[in-house]
Parts: sequence; C-alpha cells; structure tokens
Amino acid sequence: MKVEYPSPDSLLPLPAATFHILVALADRDRHGYSIMQDVAARTSGKVQLSAATLYSSIRRMLEQGLVEELRDSPDPDSQDQRRRYYGLTAFGRKVAAAEAQRLTAMLSQARETGLIPKKI
Amino acid sequence: MLPIHLFRLLLLCFPASFRREYGEEMVRDFTEQWLEARRSRTRPAFWLRSISDVFTIAPREHYHVIRQDVRYALRTLRAQPNFTAVAVLSLALGIGANAAIFSLVHKVLLELLPVRDPESLILLTDGVSSGFSTGSISGERPLLTHEEFVLMRGQSGVFAQTMATYHSREPLQVRVKGGEAEEVSASLVSSEYFDTLGVPPAIGRTFTADDGAKPALAVISNKYWQKRFGGSDRALGAPIALRRATFTIVGAMPAGFFGDTVGQHPDIWFPLAMQPEVLPGRDWLHDDPATLAKTIWLQVFARLKPGVPIEQAQAQANTVFQQSLSAFYASAPTSEMRREFLDQRLRLRPAPMGGSAVRENFGEPLLAMLAAAGLVFLIACANLGNLMLTRAMARTREMAVRQALGAGRGDLARQWLSESMLIAVGAGIIGLLSASLLRAALLRLVPSSLHLPSSLDMPVVLFTVALTVLAGLVLGILPILRTMKTSHAGLREQGRGVTSSAGWLRAGRLVVAGQVALSLPLLIGAALLARTLDNLRHVDFGFATGNLLMARVDVMSGGYEEPARQPLFERLHERLRALPGVASVSYSPHGMLMGGDSGDEIEVEGYVRRGGGDEGSRYDLVGPGFFSTLGIPLRQGRAIDARDRATTAKVCVINEAFAKKFFAGRNPIGHHVTQVFGHQRNTFEIVGVAGNARKRSLRREIEHRFYIPISQPVDVPERVTFAIRTAGDPAPMANAVRAAILAEDPHLPISQIVPLASRIEEGMVQERMLATLSLAFGAVALLLAAIGLYGVLSYGVGRRTNEIGIRKALGARETAVVALIMRESSWLLAGGLAAGFSLAFAALRSIESRLFGLSPLDPGAYAAAALVLAAVGLLAAWLPARRASRIDPVAAIRYE
Repeated sequence: MKVEYPSPDSLLPLPAATFHILVALADRDRHGYSIMQDVAARTSGKVQLSAATLYSSIRRMLEQGLVEELRDSPDPDSQDQRRRYYGLTAFGRKVAAAEAQRLTAMLSQARETGLIPKKI
Repeated sequence: MLPIHLFRLLLLCFPASFRREYGEEMVRDFTEQWLEARRSRTRPAFWLRSISDVFTIAPREHYHVIRQDVRYALRTLRAQPNFTAVAVLSLALGIGANAAIFSLVHKVLLELLPVRDPESLILLTDGVSSGFSTGSISGERPLLTHEEFVLMRGQSGVFAQTMATYHSREPLQVRVKGGEAEEVSASLVSSEYFDTLGVPPAIGRTFTADDGAKPALAVISNKYWQKRFGGSDRALGAPIALRRATFTIVGAMPAGFFGDTVGQHPDIWFPLAMQPEVLPGRDWLHDDPATLAKTIWLQVFARLKPGVPIEQAQAQANTVFQQSLSAFYASAPTSEMRREFLDQRLRLRPAPMGGSAVRENFGEPLLAMLAAAGLVFLIACANLGNLMLTRAMARTREMAVRQALGAGRGDLARQWLSESMLIAVGAGIIGLLSASLLRAALLRLVPSSLHLPSSLDMPVVLFTVALTVLAGLVLGILPILRTMKTSHAGLREQGRGVTSSAGWLRAGRLVVAGQVALSLPLLIGAALLARTLDNLRHVDFGFATGNLLMARVDVMSGGYEEPARQPLFERLHERLRALPGVASVSYSPHGMLMGGDSGDEIEVEGYVRRGGGDEGSRYDLVGPGFFSTLGIPLRQGRAIDARDRATTAKVCVINEAFAKKFFAGRNPIGHHVTQVFGHQRNTFEIVGVAGNARKRSLRREIEHRFYIPISQPVDVPERVTFAIRTAGDPAPMANAVRAAILAEDPHLPISQIVPLASRIEEGMVQERMLATLSLAFGAVALLLAAIGLYGVLSYGVGRRTNEIGIRKALGARETAVVALIMRESSWLLAGGLAAGFSLAFAALRSIESRLFGLSPLDPGAYAAAALVLAAVGLLAAWLPARRASRIDPVAAIRYE
C-alpha cells in the first residue's frame, strides 16, 4: 500500500522535542532511553526529555510517519530484547532536513542583522 | 521501589490506550532516569520535571483520544445518513419541545423578581388578584384598601419597608408632550415602591415620601423610554397629559425591571396619591364607615425587619387589622352582620418571585406540558437507545475485530459514547434552535394581552445542555452494555449463530413495549384534553354568543357624576341602535363573560334559609331589551323594558336556577326579593323568570341570579357594557361602534370592544394550549413508537432470514409467515398497552381539574387512544412481516 505523505514543510516548525528525537535517530535506530541519553549528551544535559514527553512525541511521530517501530532489535546481541526500537523513516528524514534548513535560514537572518557575530 | 510505584500512579493520568501502548516502556525509562538522578544527586529537579510533564502532557493525550473517537464516530454516522438523520431529528424534537416549554416554566414559575434581595420580599395580599371591588370580602383578604395599607405601613415593629401597587388592567390614553393620543399600560404605586424594591432608576429619580400630597410625577419603563424617547435624557421633564391632569417624567427604569408582578409590563408608574387624577370619579384612597363599603384594590408588599419571623409579623398585622375592622364596622345594623364583616384576615406569604396572575393560571398547565414533553423526550431516548442497540448487534463483528486487534472494552465503550454524544449534541443544537420556533408557535396560542413571559436565556441553555448530556449517556448505555458482553466469540457469530443476540433482541423488544406503554398515557391525555376543548366549545351558554359585539365604557373615569350617568347610557344606547348593521342593543354594567359581577345578601319572600349558599345572590343591572338582545328565553312573566323607570315600582326578573332554589313548587311571580348591604335595603317584585345564562365561567354550574332594571339601581354603575347584536360578522363593526360612542363625547374611555365569541375563545387559552400541545406530543410519541417497533422487527426479521427460509422450504405459506411475525408484534403491543393503561390510570387523575364534561377514566378516550396506537403499531409491524413473507427460501438458506 502506498502511503501518501504531506509536504514536509506543512509540519514545520517542529516542536523542539520532535526535532531532538529526529536528530537522535538520524545516525542509528534507538530505543526510548537511548534517545533520552543521546539528546542529553548532545545538549550537554540542557535538554532532558521525560518519559511522558518522549512517548507522547513518539506516539504523534508514529502517526505522522516520521518514525517507525522496528520489529527486531537492531543489535541481536543486546541483553535487552524487550526494548522497543524506533527508526527514522525516509519521510522523517526529509522533515528533519527541512526543519534544519529552516533553522539555518533563521540563523543567517540573525547574523545579517548583527544580532550574533557573523563568524564564530 | 517507592518512586516506581509513584510513577505508576502518575501514569493513571494518561488514557488507558496510551498506558497500554507505552506504559511499560515509560516505567522502564523512568527507572533508568531515576537511578541516574540519584547518582548525580539531582532527584528533586528530576521529580519536578517528571511530574509537571505528566500533568501537561496527559490532558493533551486525552484530547487526542477524544478527537480520534469523535472523528471515527463522525465517519460512522456519515456512512449511515438515514439512521443519523432519524436519530438527530427525533431527539432534537424531544429536546426542543422541552427547551421551549422550560423557557416558559422558568420565567413563570422559577425566576426570582429582578430586584434587590428578592428572597426577603413578602406579600400581605394574594399577589394574584387585580381590579377593584367595593363592599367587603370575607375570609382571607386578596387585596387591601388604601387606609389598610397606611395602617400596615405604620407597623414598623415588624416591617422594615412596605409598599402598595395597583396595575390598571385596562390601558390608559395619554398624550406625551402634547402629541397624538396613545395607549399605555400603567400602575399606581406608593411613594416607597422603588425604594422597597431597591432598584435605582437608569436616569433621573423615582418617587419619594417628600414629593408632597399631590405629586404629578411619572416614572417610565425602559422599554417605553427606548420606544418613545430613543433612550434620550430629554425624556426627563417631558409632560404626560392624562385626562385632565399633566404629569412630569422624573425618571426611567433600567432594562430588565418590569415591576412587582410577572406578566405585567407597565409603561408608566404614577404615584398612588394621584388616583383621583389617574382614575377619576371616585375617591379610592379613603373608606367611608357610613356606607360600610371599602374600596379593596391594592397589592401590598413588605420586607420583614431583620430577625422577625413571618408568623410574628402575620400575628401583629392581623391584630391591628382586626382593630381597624372593629372600628370601621361599629355601626353595622345587626350583630350577625357585624360578625360577618369582622370575618376578614390577612395571610402573609413569601414573595421572592413577586406577584403573578400568570403563575396562578398557567403554572399547572405549564408543568403538565413540561411533564408531557419530558415523556416525549424519554420516548425519544428509548427509541434511539433501541436503534443504537440494533446497530450494536449488527456491528458485533466489527467490535470483535477491533477487540482482537487490541482495543480494550473501555475503548469500545468510549466509541459508542462518542457516537451517542455526537447524536445528542447535534440534536441539542437543532433542539435549541427549534425551541425558539416552537416557543413562538406556543405563544401564538396565547392572546398577546396575557403577556406570558419567556426568553431563551442562560438557564434555558443550561437546561438544554443538561438534557443533551443526559440523552448522550442514556443512548450510549445499551450498546455499551452489549459491547461489554461481547467477546472474541463475536467473530464467529454470523448467519445461524443468532442465539447470543436473542437476549439483546428481547431487551430491545422490552424497550419497544415500554415506549408503547409511555405513549399510551400521552395519547389518552391528548384525547381527554381535546374532548374537553370540544365540550367547552359546545357548552350551552343559555344565549346566542354569535354576532354579538361587547363594548365597555368607563363612564366614571370619563368624569360623569352619578346623576349624569343614566341619561348618558340612554343616549349611547340610541346612537348605537341607529348604526346600520345593528339588529338590537342593550346594556348592563359588566356584560356577559367579560369579567366583573355584583352580589349581595338577599332575603326572599316566603323562603326560610337552609344554608348551602342561599344567603346571597348575584345580580345584574340591565337596560331595556336585555333578554331579547342576548336571546335569553323568558320562561314566565315579562322582561325588563322601557316602562321600568326610576319612578315606577321596583321590579326584577329571576333566572331558573333562582326559581328552583327559592321557589321550588311555588309560582315566583309577584313575590319579593330584598337586597341587603349594611344599612342598604332594596326590595324588588318578581315580574318574570328567564332561562339560565352563563355570565362568569364556562365550567362552573350557572348560579342563581336576579336582574333589576338599570334605571332602579342598587348603586349607580361606574361603567357600562353594551351588548350589540349585529346582522353579520361583529368584528368589522368595532370601528363604527367606537366612532358612535366618541361622537357622544370624545373623552369617553372605551376600555374594550370585542366580539363575544373571540372573548370566549380567549378564555379557553389554557385548554387550547394543553389540547394542541398534547395532541402534538401524542403524535410525536406515536411516530417514535412506530419507528421503534419497525426498527426492532426489521432487525429481527433480518436475523431470522435463515430460519424463515427453512420454514418456507418446509412448506410454510406467505400468510403463515406474516401471521408469525404479526403474532409476535401483537404480543409486544398488547404488553405495552396493558402497562400503558396502568400508567394512564395512575397519572391522568392529576389532570382531572383540567377536564370538562368527562372523567379522567373516560372509556371513549382510552379506547380511541389504544386503537390508534395499536393500528399504527400493527402497520409498523406489517412492513417487516411482508418483507419476511417474500423471502426466497433458496437465497435465504444460502444467506450467511
């Protein structure tokens, strides 16, 4: 069955938690706690996703087709086979990229106006 | 671990489906996070974040689930437009009817008077009576005289504030700023009136005790202020000419204020002290002990002093009231008469809703109509509940599949509830919109002069919302119960496996029988009330009511002193008689069935009192040609005619009831009747006996009465009512009659010109309202019962296609199949009717006082209602029966 997705732009701007989760899943599939850890690590602990925020976002992202639940654990040797793993869909990747571009554009606008230094 | 348990508790804030899907993962991740927080000693911040996240996100998840349910329900309902339309519309009818009637009930029976602290208002009078009477009234006092009001106002030991009011039933003619004459509704109020009610004016001021003895001031209502002055300040100081006096507007009241009595809407309030100018011709402010007659005309309100119980105030008020009566009637001629005069007392009653004649007249019918509308609502709910149940049975497989795919019973129950709530909300919205139409139709049954108040305001909206929610819940119950019992076995249930549905089908049939049972009392009630209306329309008046125009002239207010009135009557009589199209004219003070009457103690020659209402009689003063004009037959002797003058011997004509009561077996002609009031005694010789004619009420027995010539009056009448017999339709004659009266004197106040037939029809407004509405409700109930029966039987036939096919294959004829289905429905109907009869038997006694000419157990009404219900029920059953009989056995057996 061919699923029709809306244009990625129609979902923008993404909620912060959604964008963080998409970024966490960009390099590999992860389970919930791994997503939490990755987000915390990449933001130096500034963003701490709670279980409620994470699974509410995942529920919505699954419905929007941004992520999918994997049938099997990506790591057959993992001790925790009961964990549920999530991966990025092609559509999710497109949406994440579109959001990143939007943020970049905003950033360069901020630079143009001299709000932040042009070169770091 | 305690934190984990706590988190599990917090998870209960989420919808069950969310918990099922993610609960375990969340607990696992929470545990890891918590261990880490413990290691890094950031537990308080971690808890804070977790808890606040749960409380912000859980409601969003609930919203999401509800939105999904609603979307799914909308899709399902859209897929079955016929069912949805029938469901929404029939429920909308039930809700709309209730909302419309509730809007009236709320205004008439429930709403507090829009004044300061309405709960502390009390009435010293009955709050219902209007008009004025002279003489005395024994028993509880409906109204007070002005002097009695002043006496009560002085009882500052028990009353903190007191006020008196009189509303003129008939409109007054005024000229504002010298403009055209216009009719206004007016009240006379004491100077404390607005202060006691505690409502400040929108502009200007109200009356005060410092206004002087003759304050020619006026306060106008908000409506009149807007209509006449566009809400401008220029209204203040504007002159209002009324009769020979000119009043100055000093204030206008705020919107929403209508005075002290529901159903009255005065445009102008005048000071009570100005009675001789507003209603001239007699001093209503003082009672004359010499005549022993009091002018009883004021409604009196008060506020109790803090801490004074109403019983204490009543005792105190009655003590001074009795003292004043003793003094007033000190000169009564006999001790018996004096005792009768002193038999008067006050009853104090709480008046948080103010006074209301509308409440008295319409309260009971409105509640009866609300009960009937409630019944229709109940029937509509039962009907839809049944249709929903039928759908639940038809969707057993769908529900079982959804359960197998992981939906919990709670999810399925919520799904049904969403569907029923959606139907209810749709019905609620349409119901509320249609309520305004229904209300308008309802009010059209009431003559506009009655001012039946109603509005679709907040309480009505809340009432509708409550009904809507109730309907949503009730409709959802049966399918939810049914779904709770469904298991995965439902997946196997098809074709022949009908047994598990049999119990539910039985439940559905019970509901249909219940509907029939509830519809029957409605139909019987409708039949009883319709026949009551018919009986009233065919009541024997004792005279011809058609082609009769009644015109009432208030000669006293027109400024005619007593000696000038008799000649005026005669001149007006001549003028009216000369009008083309007038067959004959006569007159009396009150006319027939127009309100107003006279009565006094009597002594009848040769009759010894036995009790039972023979101590007094009602009487009329009549002009020449009275009996022939009205068509009251003369049984014996002669009528009153032009030969009876003030100077000739005093004569009277009695009615048949009078002859029967006082002259059983004797010839009354030549005997004498004496009227007695205080020192007044007038003796009349009986010269004729007339047929009984209805003067007061359509319902009550015609009371004994005697007629005396208006030229030989007991008291000179203050007003006169002409009875004009016309050759054709009397209504178009009204203008000519008005012109003829005003040609005599352009200042004569004509209070009413109305064809008697329309007046009689107006008098039947409650009956007409009840009969029309109960017929409408009965028809709706009948329709709903038919839909319910058809729905359940249709579904039953559908489920039994297979069985019927086998029967036919084995040789059953079409007629046998029809008989099979019809037999079942007959049992259903018979059970419903039996229960309905018991219900009707118990419930319909309550409308006994509303019936006329038949008993609440009238067999004709019972039989007619049952027959109609049975016929419609059998028709509804015949359609599916016929379909069943045409089932093709081969196709049916293949049907799975």
